[in-house]
Amino acid sequence: MGEVDTSKKVADRYLKREVLGEGTYGVVYKAIDTQTGQTVAIKKIRVGKQKEGVNVTALREIKLLKELKDPNIIELTDAFPHKGNLHLVFEFMETDLEAVIRNHNIVLSPADIKSYIQMTLKGLAFCHKKWVLHRDMKPNNLLIGPNGQLKLADFGLARVFGSPDRRFTHQVFARWYRAPELLFGTKQYGPGVDVWAAACIFAELLLRQPFLQGTSDIDQLGKIFAAFGTPTPSQWPDMVYLPDYVEYQYAPPSALRKKFSMASDDAFDLLSKMFTYDPKARISVQQALEHRYFTSAPLPTDPDKLPRPAPKRESVNSKASDFNPNEAPTVLSPPRKSRRVMPERGSFEGNASQVDKVDDHIGDIRLAAGESTSRNEPAPMSVDFSIFGAKPPNRPTINSADRTHLKRKLELDFQQPE
Amino acid sequence: MASNFWTSSHYEQLLEQEEVDVVLPLDKEKGITLEDFKLIKMHMANYISKLAQQVKVRQRVVATAVTYMRRVYTRKTMSEYDPRLVAPTCLYLASKAEESTVQAKLLVFYIRKLYSDEKYRYEIKDILEMEMKILEALNYYLVIYHPYRSLSQLLQDAGLNEINMTQQTWGIVNDTYKMDLALVHPPHLIALACIYIASVLRDKDTTAWFEELRVDMNVVKNISMEILDFYENHKMHSEERFNAALSKLPARA
Repeated sequence: MGEVDTSKKVADRYLKREVLGEGTYGVVYKAIDTQTGQTVAIKKIRVGKQKEGVNVTALREIKLLKELKDPNIIELTDAFPHKGNLHLVFEFMETDLEAVIRNHNIVLSPADIKSYIQMTLKGLAFCHKKWVLHRDMKPNNLLIGPNGQLKLADFGLARVFGSPDRRFTHQVFARWYRAPELLFGTKQYGPGVDVWAAACIFAELLLRQPFLQGTSDIDQLGKIFAAFGTPTPSQWPDMVYLPDYVEYQYAPPSALRKKFSMASDDAFDLLSKMFTYDPKARISVQQALEHRYFTSAPLPTDPDKLPRPAPKRESVNSKASDFNPNEAPTVLSPPRKSRRVMPERGSFEGNASQVDKVDDHIGDIRLAAGESTSRNEPAPMSVDFSIFGAKPPNRPTINSADRTHLKRKLELDFQQPE
Repeated sequence: MASNFWTSSHYEQLLEQEEVDVVLPLDKEKGITLEDFKLIKMHMANYISKLAQQVKVRQRVVATAVTYMRRVYTRKTMSEYDPRLVAPTCLYLASKAEESTVQAKLLVFYIRKLYSDEKYRYEIKDILEMEMKILEALNYYLVIYHPYRSLSQLLQDAGLNEINMTQQTWGIVNDTYKMDLALVHPPHLIALACIYIASVLRDKDTTAWFEELRVDMNVVKNISMEILDFYENHKMHSEERFNAALSKLPARA
């Protein structure tokens, strides 16, 4: 309420610019809000073709984002139907944390890392305060705005928690960010799963590459145990009762302090507390924010002074073919990252037909690269509202089998008593 | 969103009774009175409830759907938004929002089973089209709090959590959705009013317990009176009067 009359609000309020990428339930494009002059990202949710109306994942995201207003959470500024499709308007975000981590031209100082992880935890703390689990924390869901503000995005998997006996599916999170209790198939979990994922992101900021890169769920646990040692019953008493618990051969903890030699003692202490095996003993997000790491020197960098990928003016200009990384004039970063579609900051002299061409071209790149998320496959649940469509191929997301499982679980939910 | 009602959109969207009891001009032109308006909403709440029993969803989904429907009619007319389509669509949308998705084709199947009347007959595409309109009318606010959660906590706290008392109170809470209470009052006050009525009916002395609560007892009593008035007037809400009210609305385009 108290908002502008929505009946007259049509697409002509927003001046459509280039396509930024394609999520699982629709195209994301850049636009100018003619009422405010601001740049926005518009996510078009295709409804017409679907037999089940507005996509449940999209609806979940709308529902939660309308309630979650915080500087470190992506803002849903508007929503409107147009030509039978639902359009969601978000504040425009320039890049994401994955692009920052992967860009080896960027040097992240300890203060920069502190700033990025602090903003991540602040956004998460707000969700948890509102009893919302994000369940899909990973660097490319952490978007970075023009002023350096980091914001949590992609609430398509998020759930309200708080009913003590509520059972959830464990098929959430991209595998590398999945907590051990999820990998052991727990159905009753809490905010600790987001803390584990945040710890993986923290480690990734320090190492500049994903920390625990399992190739399967079993291998993921193996990687975790190899790093921290196989958990003993005294470390994690409830472990043996988890549904998919299997005994692993004992592995001693690795020389972790050495692996994280770049981290200060405070940073390493916080990291270890976030990587606690027993979810009941794991540090909460609020406690993590109160850890002395955030008050000891160096203090977190001001967001607007944080290093970010340079805007690539040349890469997405008038010619659609510039989207092709093989032809792009300056590819400074490693090939995997360059497959992401980077928007330029300046003006785009395009028109509708060019936009269409650009859109098709993204499809070409994807098909050519044989990416598993291409159009002929069932779309993964993990929707990427990163404004950059194409994902690097070998970062695991929730696959179609997981998705079926997830759907089944969600349908079963109503049988649970209130 | 279990915890904080006071920072929720639901709290921000609460209305005054006078704002809810407004028949919009277009409906007024068709001869819809305030009584008709309330009667139609009550019957549509029943419709949602009946349909929900067929497709087997939790009471919570029904409660959310009815609240959506009532919110829609604070902003849109019945002449333009046919209640016979709005009601099932609200159930459809609520089932998604409450994570218990019901397929549109299942709803369409049971609508046919429940009503032979042509005027109730809507197809999947009608529901999907209306879904979008309802989302817009709701301004995309979908999270609704209900008295059920606080109910069990409060009953336990009052030491009234035996089965009969719980069932009676629960039933009264269900009946509050036949009124517009959820648009006007916070859910925990509605829960308290229901406990108050049930405790009076069952001769339980709860005076001391209520006095210890830091709530405005006048509001609780006012809500209770409204509920009791509703029960009293319920006899007059005949099917004929409802059909007469509904027939004032234009036939579907």
